[in-house]
Parts: sequence; C-alpha cells; structure tokens
Amino acid sequence: MRYYLFLLITLCSMAAHAEKLRIHVWHQMIYGHRQVLAEVLKEFEKQNPDITVQATYRETEELRSGYQSAAMGGSGPELVYGPSDQIGPFATMGIIRPLDEVLGVDYFKQFDPLAAPTFNGKHFAIGDAVGNHLMLIYNKKLLPVPPKNSDELIEMGKKATIDKNGDGRVDQWGLVFNYTEPFFFAPFIPAFGDDFIKDDVKPNLNTPALANTFQFILDMRDKYKIIPKECDYETANALFKDNKAAMLINGDWSWGDYKEAKVDFGIARIPMISGTGKWPASLVGTKGYSLNVNMKSPQHQEAAVKLLMYLTSTPVQLQFAEKVGILPSNLDARDSDIVKNNPLLKISADIMEVGHPMPIVPEVRAIWDSLRIQYQKVLAGSLTPQAGAQGAQVLAEKQIAEMNEVLKPDAGAYVLKAIFALVILGGIWMSRKSLVAFVKGFQGPNRFAYYMMLPAFIGIFAVIVYPFFYNIAISFSNFSLRTFQDWSLVGFTHYVNAFSDPKFYSLFLKTVIWTVVNVFFHVTLGVFLAVIINQVMPFQGFWRALLIIPWAVPQYITALTWRAMFNQEYGPINIVLQKFLHLSPIQWLSQPTTAFAACIITNVWLGFPFMMIVALGGLQSISHSLYEAARLDGATSWQRFRHITWPLLMPVMVPAALLGSIWTFNNLNVIWLVSNSGEPGDQTHILVSYVYKAAFNLYRYGYAAAVSVIIFLILVIWGLGMLKSQYQKETK
Amino acid sequence: MVKRLLAWVSILLFAVFSLYPIVYVISVSLRGDNAFQTQSLEIVGPNSTLKNFVSLFTETDFLLWLKNSLIISGVTTFAGVALASCSAYALSRYRFRGRNMMLFSLLTTQMFPATMLMLPFFIILSQLHLIDSFWGLFIIYSSTALPFCIWQMKAYYDTIPRELEEAALLDGCSRWMIFTKIILPVSSPALVITALFSFMSSWSEYVIAAVVLQDPQLYTLPLGLRSFQASLATQWGLYAAGALIVSIPVLILFISISRYLVSGLTMGSVKG
Repeated sequence: MRYYLFLLITLCSMAAHAEKLRIHVWHQMIYGHRQVLAEVLKEFEKQNPDITVQATYRETEELRSGYQSAAMGGSGPELVYGPSDQIGPFATMGIIRPLDEVLGVDYFKQFDPLAAPTFNGKHFAIGDAVGNHLMLIYNKKLLPVPPKNSDELIEMGKKATIDKNGDGRVDQWGLVFNYTEPFFFAPFIPAFGDDFIKDDVKPNLNTPALANTFQFILDMRDKYKIIPKECDYETANALFKDNKAAMLINGDWSWGDYKEAKVDFGIARIPMISGTGKWPASLVGTKGYSLNVNMKSPQHQEAAVKLLMYLTSTPVQLQFAEKVGILPSNLDARDSDIVKNNPLLKISADIMEVGHPMPIVPEVRAIWDSLRIQYQKVLAGSLTPQAGAQGAQVLAEKQIAEMNEVLKPDAGAYVLKAIFALVILGGIWMSRKSLVAFVKGFQGPNRFAYYMMLPAFIGIFAVIVYPFFYNIAISFSNFSLRTFQDWSLVGFTHYVNAFSDPKFYSLFLKTVIWTVVNVFFHVTLGVFLAVIINQVMPFQGFWRALLIIPWAVPQYITALTWRAMFNQEYGPINIVLQKFLHLSPIQWLSQPTTAFAACIITNVWLGFPFMMIVALGGLQSISHSLYEAARLDGATSWQRFRHITWPLLMPVMVPAALLGSIWTFNNLNVIWLVSNSGEPGDQTHILVSYVYKAAFNLYRYGYAAAVSVIIFLILVIWGLGMLKSQYQKETK
Repeated sequence: MVKRLLAWVSILLFAVFSLYPIVYVISVSLRGDNAFQTQSLEIVGPNSTLKNFVSLFTETDFLLWLKNSLIISGVTTFAGVALASCSAYALSRYRFRGRNMMLFSLLTTQMFPATMLMLPFFIILSQLHLIDSFWGLFIIYSSTALPFCIWQMKAYYDTIPRELEEAALLDGCSRWMIFTKIILPVSSPALVITALFSFMSSWSEYVIAAVVLQDPQLYTLPLGLRSFQASLATQWGLYAAGALIVSIPVLILFISISRYLVSGLTMGSVKG
C-alpha cells in the first residue's frame, strides 16, 4: 500500500513537473534582434525551470491585426511586443491591460519617460529601448563630413550624384531614402515651421510648413536631382550598402546591417533647414511589452509579469545594447560603460534631443494614412503641394471622425430586427415543405443521395454559409475601433454611407475595368495559345507544361516577384527597356496608372494558363472531320476559326470566363502585394482591397462588411443575368 | 510558312513571359548576401553560390514547415476529394427538391470576398478551441475548395453514360458499389483535378494560416517563408530559395498531370 502511494505521489509530481507553464510572446523584432531575444529567453528558462517561453515573430502589421482578432476571440499571447503607436488602438479596444495595477506606480520611475508612455493616464507598455528615430547616415568614403544645413545638403548631394560612365544613368546618388513613406518625411515638417499633429491628437496638416516640405522633396527630386525618382526602403538600403549613395536617411535599427556590409559610415542629425534655422525632428519612440487582458490562469499572469520584468531589466537591456546597439530605456543601464563608450549611441542620443515623442493615440493612424495618400499624389504630380496639404487635413479629419464614430442604434435597428425576424419566419414558412421533404428524404428512395451530400454540405455550411451570415450581421452593426468588445446592431447606416460616397462608384468603375481587361487578356491569350499549340506545334505536351507554369506558382510568391521586377532601379523590366530598347525607365510603382498597369500585367501572367488549358480541352473535343469538310469547301483559315472553332469553343469558354471574372473581381492578393496596399496614394485599389483596408487597417469592420455584402450582391445579380442570357441562347 | 513562323515566334515569346519570373527567383536565390539588387541581367553571376539553399535547410526550420505543410495538404486533399466526389455524384445522378438551389448556392459562395470571412472564422474557431491546431485548418481548407470542386466533378459525372450503371444495378450491385467500382475509376481526370485544387488551396494559403497557427512549431511553408521578411529588412536570398522549393512540388504536380487537366477541366462543359 505504501509502495503504491509512493508511486502515486511520484507520478503526480512528475505530471505536475511535466506541465510547465507556457508563456507566449509575439514580437516584431528584426532578424538580428531576434537572435539576442532567443539567447536571453534561454537564460530566463534556465532561471525559471517551470516556465517555457514561446517567442513568435510577426511582421508589424500582421502582429497588429493578428493580435486584435486573437484577443477578441479571448486568446492570444500573454505578452505582445511592438512599437508604442499600437498602444493607443489596443488600449482603446480594451485588449491590453493597464500595467499600473500589477507593477505598482513607482515601477515606471526607473525608465526613460519616453519608454513608459501613458495613455488616458495609465501605463500600457514598458519599452526595452528608446530610439527608432531617423538620422542622416553618410558614407565616409564618399563624403568625409556630413552637411550641416539644407543648402549644404543640396550642394554636397549634387556633387555626389554622378553618372560615372556617361550613359545618362546616375551611378551614384547624393541622397537616398524611403521618401514615399510619410514616416521618413515627417521629420522635415516641424523644421519648416509647424508640427503636423497638435495637442497629441489633432491633425495640423493644412499648413505652409507641410506644403513647403512637399516642395522641398519635389525639388530634391526634380530640380536638384539628388535623390532617385523612385526609391523604396529596399532600394535605398541596397544603394547605400553598395557604396552607391553618399547619404541615407534611416533609423538606428539599420546600423547592424551596414556594419555587416562593411560600409564605413558615420551618423549625424538630418541637416538643419537653412530657410528656417530649425532642425528636422525625428519621431522618437519606444518598442515595448504589453500584457494581454486574457489570461489562462493567475499562474500565467504571474509568469507573464515575471517575464516582462525580466525582459526590461538592466542586464537584458545591456545585452541588447552590446549586441545590436540599441539605446536602453532603463536609466541604470544607460549609465553603464557599455552605453557611454559607444560612439554611435552617443551621437544617437544627441539626435534624439531634437526629436519629438511618437504620438500613440489611435488617431495617428488616420493622420499617417491621409498624409501618405496626399503625399504620394503630390509626388506623382497629380496635386500641387498646397492642394496636397489642404486635402490631407480634410481627409485626416474625415478618417478620424469615421474611426471614432460610435453609431447608436437608430430607428433602422428596429426595422432591421423586424426584417430579420420576418425573413427567418418567412424562410421557414416558405421552405417548410422542402424542410419536411429534406428530413423525409433520409428515409425516401433518394436517401443514398442525401447521405452522399451531407458531409460536404455540413462543411460548406460551417465554413462559408455561417460566417457569411455572421458578416451580414456585422454589416448592420457598429463594430469598429471603439466598440470592439461589445458591438450591437444599429441599422442601415453603413449601406447608406457606402452608396452616398462618390469613392464607391469610382472604385466600382475601376474594379469593372480591372475585371474586363484581365478576363479579356486571359481569354484571348488562352485561346490564341491553345490554337497554336493544338494546330502548329510539335511536342504539344511540352508546350502545354511550359505555359502552365505561372498557374502553378503560389500567388503570393508571384506577386512579390513581379513587384521586385517592376523596381525602377533594379527591376529587370526597366533594365531591358533601357539596355535593349533604349527607352527611358518607367516609374512603374509610383504613378497611379502605371502601378495599376503593373498589377494588371501580373494578373494576366497569373491567369492565362487556366484559360489556355480550358481552351485546349475545348479544341481537342472538336472533331477533325468538320475542318476537313470546311477545307474541301474552300474555307480560309479565318473562316474556319470564325465558323467552326469559335462557336464550338464558346460553350467551354463562357462558364470558364464567368468563373474567371468572379475570381478576378475578388482578387485581393495581386493588388495588395504588387502595389504595396494601394500605393501610390490609395489610387490602385479595387473594391476588395479597399474593403480589406477599411477593415484591417482602419478598424471599420461594420462598414467593410457592408461593402463586401454589396460586392456580393453585385456579383450575384450579374452572375444571374449572365446565366439567364446563356440559358436563353442555348434554348433558342 | 509565314504563319508557322509567326506561331513559333509568339509561342517562344510567351514561353519567355511565363518562365522569366521563375528564372528571376532562381537568380535571386543564387546571389550571395547582399540581395536581389543588381543591375545585371545575368542569371548565374560570378558571385553565385548555393549558400542560401544550404542555410535554408541548416539554419532555419524549413524541414519542419515542410512536414507540417505536407500533413495539412495531404489530409485536406484526401478530405476534399472524398467530400467532393460523393456530393457531386448525388447532384449529378439524383433529382430532388432543392437541387438547383444547391447548385446555384455553390456558385454564389465564390462571389463573396473571402477575406471578409476571416473574422467570423476566427471567432468560431476560438470558441471551438481549434486555434493552434491542424484541425481548424483541415476543416477550413477542405471546405473552402469544395464549391469549385463539386461543380467540377458534377460536370464530369454528367458526361458518364447512365447505361453503365443501369446494367450494374440489374446485376444486383448496391449503389455504393456502383459508385466506387464503376464511377470513380472512370472519373480519374476529374478526381486528379479535384485533388490538385484541394492541394493547392492548402499548400499556398497564407492569410488564414497566419491567424489560426500561432505556434511556430506548427507553421506551414508560407508562414515560414513570410518570417524571412521582417518589416524593414527582408532576407531576399533565403526568401527566394524557399519560394523556389515551395513551388517545385506544385510545378511537378502540374506538369505531370497536365494531360488530365485538359480533359478534366472541360469534358463536362463540352458534352454536358
């Protein structure tokens, strides 16, 4: 007996031991930082043998949306790590916890105030580093001393912009940076006289300062020609690493990269604007840890807090500082020799002095978005700087209002509930005979058919039909940023808004153009190639397999590949245009029309093989005797195509084209990935990508659901019409 | 003669058009450390190296992702083919109340923007505790590809003469035996296509997997590849090498069954 008891106790303790607490952390650290994180977590697990930590990397945007949905579903990681500007939205949604309750008010005093930002008077995150700010990084080999003011910047930039071999192409640039992104351009705005956000919340965009900043960038690009016509982050980075750019504006996170590439670089403040005598103010932020409101148990909470304190503690911060060169947020850590003797960190701290703290309220997202849209329009030449600044203010105010809107149920809500009830009752009443027949069917003569279908339809119901109705409910609700936890049905507002917005109609028009152009090319190219393969080519199987390739490659890989191929500086498309056709390079991705064209080209590439295969199948089913008879009658090849091939191919191509149009109409991937979520200036959106953005970037779930229901209705009505006319043709 | 020449020229042009992006990815994957940026059009440059492929297998969890993806795609394909072939048979051979309605509603499921189903998916799955489990993905993947697959299979079954079955019925075969012994074997082109679509829908799906799978031990290939792309510093070499390896199984699959593809995709609509 005692023996058994002993065994039992051992087993229990083993089981208890086996059940370690598992704490999840989601973060968005870049590659080098991730490795340090892995090391310090290993150390933490050694110190706390009862806890295991699971660190998961997520790209910034994905971390945001993924965490939102996870927390809403009542789960998610215990700790979430990210830039401070996600605190505002998360706290507003009520999915992260105030830390004051668990850590005590005095805990935060050991940190740089920048690293312990408050939102509505409470701390929601602790930063492990301060910085994330932009600076001028210069290549010492090409430029021994950095410019002090903007006049010098332009002078030095002009000197450093060189066409070495005289082929009309610049081989070395004066300045490069990801200038189409507002974050990289924002430091200049206050230097021209005015902040772009007032009192931490209000957009202040319709100012001469903003217009002058727009003009300044345009001048650098068009008048002084010291920055490339098109330059994204990757391009700027590559040019600088290849010693093909004298100066670069980038943040403290990038140093490691340049050290590894063995660039001899120095850092300095972004040059003072000569006209105003003010320094550009980089946004200084923090990245830090927040606590999920959903905890599996008090033990999890305790372990998560322990981990949070560990990750922001002095030794861990020093380890990061030493290995990847971040500026610690812990004041003790900042006093250590590791930090004090690091020349980069010293200059960095000096640059931060003229910096501004990064605002964390959710409204900032709308301000960035409006700024980006208008700025890219100005860069593409479709707006003057003044009009751009004015428009940005209007747009930002509108977006903030939409984002903060909390709809109250109006009379529509009652009408709606009544309609819902009526529809459900009516549906049951109308289909009562069918329902009875359905239930009886399981015993009737057709029961075999019922059992055969049942599993598939349960699946379809669970995965498509039920979520679909869920979405319809959301489309009538006030589900958005401020009602994340408790939304309710409010009425028809979103539908009214959608239909009264002129943007909806222009997007619809663009979607129709997108669909028609794409499907036209898919079908014509498909039929053309199929005819050739079927009639002319030897080794049919070989050609068929070769031309099928675009269809086989996963779409997200394709889209990103084409985006790289359209790159103005490095993309093979422009290189071919220049080298072999002697044309000037096309700025594919920074002009709305060419960017849209780039999306179409990509999608044509993706879609023609499907139509080709369908057409091949159709062609092979046409009997040869028809052609022989026609030949005997002396029909030309065009006549044979027109009177035999085409009419016999139609019944195959029409359903395929119908399905193809539906897929193209709803194709989010290509637009989203090729144009980098609608760039430039939100002008490449089609309806679905616009819906996606409204829901997942601007928190307007209700509105997005309403527009997607409208998309659905458009397609159903159109599809019904097509089917009907096809049916009539066939019965004639 | 001129026509023949034109045909050759245009087919070669299109071969380049369809192959080039792949060649481009190969070339990026072979470049050394710094990246996809070069202004030369060479595919294999002087600095080319297989380093990226080596580190893909030695330094990352690529094999783990591969295993996960194979499990998920395998189960999805099997379930998809089983469900689609059964229900399509019923829709093809039997006339019952609500049949047309069902066929049409299958088509309409393609008309709703799929991304908007994400939110409800997530809420449902977390209520069923299927987050961070392959089961959630099995259910979603095998069901989302179903409408297209059912249509496809039904169109194919419609072309199989009923006389085949009637003879067997007279011989005393059960319906299930007729289905498995007679119908399925002659439907191989359509089955292959259904399998292909089910496989593809899970092999390259990213958005849903990103929400459902939160534990890196469960990552699929697309999720793993995506982790090479940090917000501001993409490891292009690794990404390209991974992208190639992800595409290869699908490419082989497509090429080896392209013969079936032609008959499977169109038989139904031609004769039906």
